[in-house]
Amino acid sequence: MRPLDEKETTTVFEKLFKFTGNNLKHIVERPSSEGPEQDPGRYCFRLQKNRVFYVSESLVKRATNINREKLISLGTCIGKFTKGGSFHLTVQCLDLLAAHARHKIWLKPTSEMSFLYGNHVLKSGLGRITENINANDGVVIYSMSDLPLGFGIAAKSTQDCRKLDPNGIVVLHQADIGEYLRMEDDL
Amino acid sequence: MGKKRGNPLPLLPPEVEEDEIEVSDEDLQFVKENRYYAGFLSKLDTKSITKHVVRLADGKKEDALESFYEKRKKKAFIENNEGNALQLDPVDALPVKTLDGKLYYRTSSVDVTKPQTGLQEDNTKTNDQNVDNDENKIKPTKAERREKLKKIKKIAKKQVEEENKIDEVQRDLKSEVLEKVKQELSAEELFLQKKGKIAEIGMGLLADPENNIASLKELVQTCNDTDHNVAKLGLLSLLALFKDIIPGYRIRLPTDKELQMKVSKEVKKMRDYESMLLNSYKAYLQKLVAFGKQPFFQQVAVRCICNLLEAVPHFNYRENLLAETVKNTSSSDDVIRKLSCSAIKSLFMNEGKHGGEATVEAVQLIADHVKIHNCQLHPDCIEVFLALSFDEDLAKSTSENGKEKVKPKKKGKHTPAVPNQLAKDDKKLSKKELAAKTRVEVNTDFKAVSFAPDASERKKLQTQTLAAVFETYFRILKQSIESTAGIKIGSGTKLRPLLIPCLKGLGKFSHLISVDFMGDLLNKLKRLASGRNLSTENCRTVSERIQCCIVAFKVMRNNLDSLIIDLQEFFIHLYNLLLECKPNREDEGELLAEALKTMLCEGRQHDMQRAAAFIKRLATFSLCYGPAEAMAALVTMKHLLQKNSKCRNLLENDGGGGSLSCSVAKYHPDATDPNLSGALSSVLWELSLLSKHYHPAVSAMASSIANMGTGHNQMFLSIISPGQAFSEYSIARESFKLSIKPPASICKRKKVMDSQQRKKVLESSADPHWNDQEHEDLVRKRFSDHFKVFRNILENERLRRELNLTMSSIHLYEEYRREKKKKKRRCLDKV
Repeated sequence: MRPLDEKETTTVFEKLFKFTGNNLKHIVERPSSEGPEQDPGRYCFRLQKNRVFYVSESLVKRATNINREKLISLGTCIGKFTKGGSFHLTVQCLDLLAAHARHKIWLKPTSEMSFLYGNHVLKSGLGRITENINANDGVVIYSMSDLPLGFGIAAKSTQDCRKLDPNGIVVLHQADIGEYLRMEDDL
Repeated sequence: MGKKRGNPLPLLPPEVEEDEIEVSDEDLQFVKENRYYAGFLSKLDTKSITKHVVRLADGKKEDALESFYEKRKKKAFIENNEGNALQLDPVDALPVKTLDGKLYYRTSSVDVTKPQTGLQEDNTKTNDQNVDNDENKIKPTKAERREKLKKIKKIAKKQVEEENKIDEVQRDLKSEVLEKVKQELSAEELFLQKKGKIAEIGMGLLADPENNIASLKELVQTCNDTDHNVAKLGLLSLLALFKDIIPGYRIRLPTDKELQMKVSKEVKKMRDYESMLLNSYKAYLQKLVAFGKQPFFQQVAVRCICNLLEAVPHFNYRENLLAETVKNTSSSDDVIRKLSCSAIKSLFMNEGKHGGEATVEAVQLIADHVKIHNCQLHPDCIEVFLALSFDEDLAKSTSENGKEKVKPKKKGKHTPAVPNQLAKDDKKLSKKELAAKTRVEVNTDFKAVSFAPDASERKKLQTQTLAAVFETYFRILKQSIESTAGIKIGSGTKLRPLLIPCLKGLGKFSHLISVDFMGDLLNKLKRLASGRNLSTENCRTVSERIQCCIVAFKVMRNNLDSLIIDLQEFFIHLYNLLLECKPNREDEGELLAEALKTMLCEGRQHDMQRAAAFIKRLATFSLCYGPAEAMAALVTMKHLLQKNSKCRNLLENDGGGGSLSCSVAKYHPDATDPNLSGALSSVLWELSLLSKHYHPAVSAMASSIANMGTGHNQMFLSIISPGQAFSEYSIARESFKLSIKPPASICKRKKVMDSQQRKKVLESSADPHWNDQEHEDLVRKRFSDHFKVFRNILENERLRRELNLTMSSIHLYEEYRREKKKKKRRCLDKV
């Protein structure tokens, strides 16, 4: 377990920035609520076996007691680095993203299921959308009752969505909560 | 000139009627010219004259004597006045009474010493006054004067002869003066005469316009009269005339070819008539435009122009009328501006009169006007757009589907893709032709006759109108953004005079805005609503920003075909504006209520976090503002709580919100983003305070909201909107303040409670529902009782404190003495 080096930090933050925009500041500066200590400090990012964890500082201190090979997980896993060095967000970070998301899309109940099986979001499934989404922005996807379902990358801007035909893809799928079942082993 | 004193004398000897005295022309002339020699009369001995009169009276009968005296006195009196008025300086006109009771009328002895020029001036001045006063009075006095002077002349002959030489010099001046007098006199007559003439011509024209049309020219000429009043009358009567005789069609002057053709007598007559009418109308309009620049005629000219525009918008030269009126819509003169604006509004509303073409022209003219003046105009000139009405059915019925109608319009406006638009129209036309080829000719004929443009024509006009309107609106928006960016900090106070009416207009016509421009529009509105990156000097007002938010939502709502867009940023702006709002400003409360209605109540669904944040903030807001605003806020809260059942956690007593609170575990009341305020982890403690609000409606509402959480989930939907609540209770608040009266609806219920409460002691003073005398007395008595008791307590305390003080000082003194004694004793012991 080690802190991210500079290059890794930029790639992680860039990825997060896509989804949260200026709210990234809140993620970094957020006071921690985990850990037994009176003043648990803040959250920080740690790398362990290619996975990036979002952990409270007090937990980090305790985790140092454990051998690096034996340590499987700590805090919240938010993503992993591939062999090629690029960073992928995983579904576990959904809660974090949902709390600070800048762009949101709400799905109609009928298309929820399709999305949870790993399909892209079509225009016909769109219940509501925030303004000002540009193509390639990160988008968090909710059900109509405000339950975060997953996230993805916008394929079209909000303006273009208006003119899109009902079968056009609005959001490219990246992760959804269905993965907890489908890819239980990988996670 | 003291003639009055001399008056009785000539009257006495022969009882001759004034008329009968023969006066030779020469004499008259002489005396007229040498009026001022009558000055010697002032030196006449009044006593001797009175004696003379008395003597005469002796020989008469008593009755006759009395009446004689009366007559004489009256006459003398009248002459006095007139004489004074005529020849005295107005300042000196009052007589002076000496100690022995004699009245001295100040004669114009100055005249003798005065240089001739001064005298002349005096004379004309007094004459002026007389002319103004009354014509009738002057004439008799002149005759009298002449007559008197004639008699005086006989006595004064010698003196006159002596001064003859000087006379001749004066003669010329005198005649000049008299001429002037004559002129003044005749001016009024002339005025009347001209008035009569105008009336005569007008009547003639109205009775038979075709035969008397030639006299129209004459009437137009009267407007050139040197007398301003006559010119004004001329303008106004011409207005009335033209309004009556202008035909219901547009006159087209015959071409040369047509002129060469042989025509019947009647047709020729008709043509002459029309061309004459048109020519004089043109001349009249030119005159009006010219007069519009002169301050004296401005209002009359503008009134004429506006009336003409309202009455005959179909007629020739409409463009000129329009141009002039549009120019006047931003005039600094209130009257002119109101007139012009109402004229244009009526133009917009009565499109039947001109078939809509004038509307297009007017709107385009206004757009140009705004462009030229760089949006620095009076708001009235944009507000006229609100009177426009667009027929949607028309557009829908002609175009294949509803959507298509909006798009080409907008294209024509922003990027001038007019050919594209025209092509579409052409296509439509050709389709129609194919469908009903045979009817085309009939249709065109019918159109020409009935003057009713067919649907596609009207649609085209409407499109152009819309394009111009939105062009203007967008220009204003752009300008207001630029001006606030600090590029030009121009003439101070009102940098964006047009913004508010522009936003109003956008709100009204929001359903007509095309989807293509919505993005741009929303971006601009967002920048306007933010108001953050501005210097403090020219910050947009809160109401302007609220208006921006409302417009954005209206635009969005009216254009959602299938997509529901969540206007997050505007919610953030509103969330922050809630804090900045100062509802003591009149319109702001209303605006706020409207914003709450459009943004929070009408929207289908909200983020839970955001809804909670708004609920919390509204509760805080309603704590510190008046009952009307509080009611609006509470109604909104209720709406939100009903829709978002999860937000009812706020009503629970244990803070923290449990798992729902997500990442933000603590409530930040000062957060700028509603999503990050963590409102879900707070408790709505404000409600319990509000349920003790002094306004019964507010307290009832607050407690009903507080019970929502515990009650069963079946909620009755509250029917009123925040706006209604606001207006209802803002009126109620007025009466509340003034007469301390509750709104009528609550009165009944409250009365029962009142009677119970009446007996309870001081509580009633906090209750606003006492208003009769009895109550007031009761309260006063209680207050005075309370006050007495309170004072007694205070008095008691004070006395007790004094007592304590004295006691302690006595104690101290005793101790001191004891000590002393001890010391003495010790000393003694030692010794």
